[in-house]
Amino acid sequence: MTTYPGAGPVVHDPMTLPSDDNVNNYTFCVELKGSQWFLQKGKMIAYYGTVDFNGIGHGRLDRLVRTSFHSPLHASDWVVAEGSGKMLLADRAFDVNSYDLEDGNLTIRSGNLLAFQPSLALKQSIVPGFLTLIGTGKFVAASNGPVVFMEPPIRVDPQALVGWADCPSPCHHYDHGYMTGLMGGLRAMTGIGGASGEEHQFEFVGAGTVLLQSTETLMAEQATGAVPHEPGVPGGGHAPTGHPQQPGAPRLPGQLGDLQRRFGL
Amino acid sequence: MPFREINSKMVEATVMPGQRLFSQRGAMLAYKGEVSFTPNMQGGQGGIMSMIGRRVAGEATPLMTVEGSGTVLFGHGGHHIQVIQLAGDTLCVEADRLLAFDGTLQQGTMFMGSQGGVMGMVRGQVTGQGLFTTTLKGHGAVAVMAHGGVIEVPITPQRPVHVDPQAYVAHHGDVRNKLSTALGWRDMVGRGSGEAFQLELSGSGAVYVQASEEKL
Amino acid sequence: MFRLQGSKVLAVDMTGDAVKAKNGSMVAYDGQMDFKKLSGGGEGIRGMVTRRITGEQMTLMEVKGHGTCWFADRASEINLVGLQGDKLYVESSNLLATDSGLRTGTSFTGMRGASTGNGLFTTTVEGHGQAAIMSDGPAVVLRVSPQFPLTVDPGAYIAHQGNVRQSFQSGVTFRTFMGEGGGEAFQIRFEGDGLVYVQPSERNTIAGDV
Repeated sequence: MTTYPGAGPVVHDPMTLPSDDNVNNYTFCVELKGSQWFLQKGKMIAYYGTVDFNGIGHGRLDRLVRTSFHSPLHASDWVVAEGSGKMLLADRAFDVNSYDLEDGNLTIRSGNLLAFQPSLALKQSIVPGFLTLIGTGKFVAASNGPVVFMEPPIRVDPQALVGWADCPSPCHHYDHGYMTGLMGGLRAMTGIGGASGEEHQFEFVGAGTVLLQSTETLMAEQATGAVPHEPGVPGGGHAPTGHPQQPGAPRLPGQLGDLQRRFGL
Repeated sequence: MPFREINSKMVEATVMPGQRLFSQRGAMLAYKGEVSFTPNMQGGQGGIMSMIGRRVAGEATPLMTVEGSGTVLFGHGGHHIQVIQLAGDTLCVEADRLLAFDGTLQQGTMFMGSQGGVMGMVRGQVTGQGLFTTTLKGHGAVAVMAHGGVIEVPITPQRPVHVDPQAYVAHHGDVRNKLSTALGWRDMVGRGSGEAFQLELSGSGAVYVQASEEKL
Repeated sequence: MFRLQGSKVLAVDMTGDAVKAKNGSMVAYDGQMDFKKLSGGGEGIRGMVTRRITGEQMTLMEVKGHGTCWFADRASEINLVGLQGDKLYVESSNLLATDSGLRTGTSFTGMRGASTGNGLFTTTVEGHGQAAIMSDGPAVVLRVSPQFPLTVDPGAYIAHQGNVRQSFQSGVTFRTFMGEGGGEAFQIRFEGDGLVYVQPSERNTIAGDV
């Protein structure tokens, strides 16, 4: 039987799969030609050809870490894919998109970064929970719903923030306006009426672009060392509570792992 | 005040002095300009009686008033959003599906146990919504959330529509609803096909059904 | 007869015939419909034994009537597959509905099931007609041909059809077991001539997060 009828999706084969482009909104195809890509663990869904997946930080990949991957805390969440073939990436049916950086910088929430080329350097942002990519190269980001680009000045709910490019780091904005006056006093004292849930946002000013997603639930946060006391908000420095730790992954040389997390970073 | 769909999971609303909108608490994603978000002591319009009604109903959805001058982006939990325009008619919607709505709409609660007795109680249990639902009436726009988006199924007098109670999101028009069982008691006992209870909607209007049996 | 209304809702127009669908997946219908619970694995004693052995989670119902019936399941994306006498292998939790011209059965998949918790068995659909399969995010259909075998993450695999052989490929080195490996200890390798359906997610829709 050589015909495969069906009102279903388009059939792909290694020839028709795009190279380094989206297959659909939720799937991205990377072409490897003896080259390497950094990839978050578990995000490869299928591949044609020969591809090897190795953890970072060992043996001959060590040099790669020194040049491209400056985040020892995250090392255990990332792998290097190398070989020849076409590889499909996806993440929990979230929207995936690739972006090109040209001698630029972009800070993105660690849970939203899916993959990037080693020509980009990955660093940990001062804002906990975020990673900064610098240089020239392509990276793939995943988000709950398509990413919306907005320009400052804008105030963003912490959980909706995906990242920002070329603009200064955000500051905190607190809105307690409703707490003033008689009604405000009543609210504060009795708690009647509760909180609007919008008391705190990140404020961006200046030139650049802010990336947002439509969600108030964060994607699984990659352990970064500082645990927010409010979802999505940097700060704290308490010991991790409820964050999924790598189960039983032994600490290997060069990776301080939970020690760093415990002492707060 | 119209809602502009940015994408299927995000809507944008423009707020101007003198106008206001109500939205679910915590549904604001970002905003520009000077906008204030005030938790509703009253929980929306309708005054004290309505608030009490809601308390009695155990309505869990806290609302906030959004006013000022600027633009606000709304979304929640990455759920799909459907914007429904009301032109004088009434929309009945499950309270926790309401994302945001025009301040000019008249809000109320409707007792859904009106068919009375056991069925009324059962309906509350089955939909997980309790006995009350929110009604919105007037001219304006409502942004409603659902798991996976909704489809609109028209209801005509000759063709009543049956809906899985957990997939029911909202309905508008001149529609009567009642809970019915589809099957014989043997199926009831064995939980049957899983479709033991259905909401039967008749009259003329449309019902919004979501692509999932999961509550939000 | 099967049509998609949006990508997450299947609408089936029925005129007295029957379709089989996943238990509880009806979201709305008009006209008059009857719902009857069926058991997976097949009919009679043999069916019962199969169910016992396989521990098949999937329960099907039969829907018969006049009117339109809408099916959906947890907002999963739906893909229609047309079968013309061939056989479709699909993860039981990913099968939404089959029309009356198709037969469903169970088949042993081997070790693949062990790593994902899918169970060791998969559902087979054969005959002439349409089947609706579900995925977490729109599925991507990949062709397998003799020159180009395909390797798939088990959590992303939904279904396959055609003349393909599955083999179970153990991921990588011992580092994998140390938590430093490629993320997926096992992969499925497909060789031969056919199609494989994958979803853009490593999650199995029935079990939740992997």
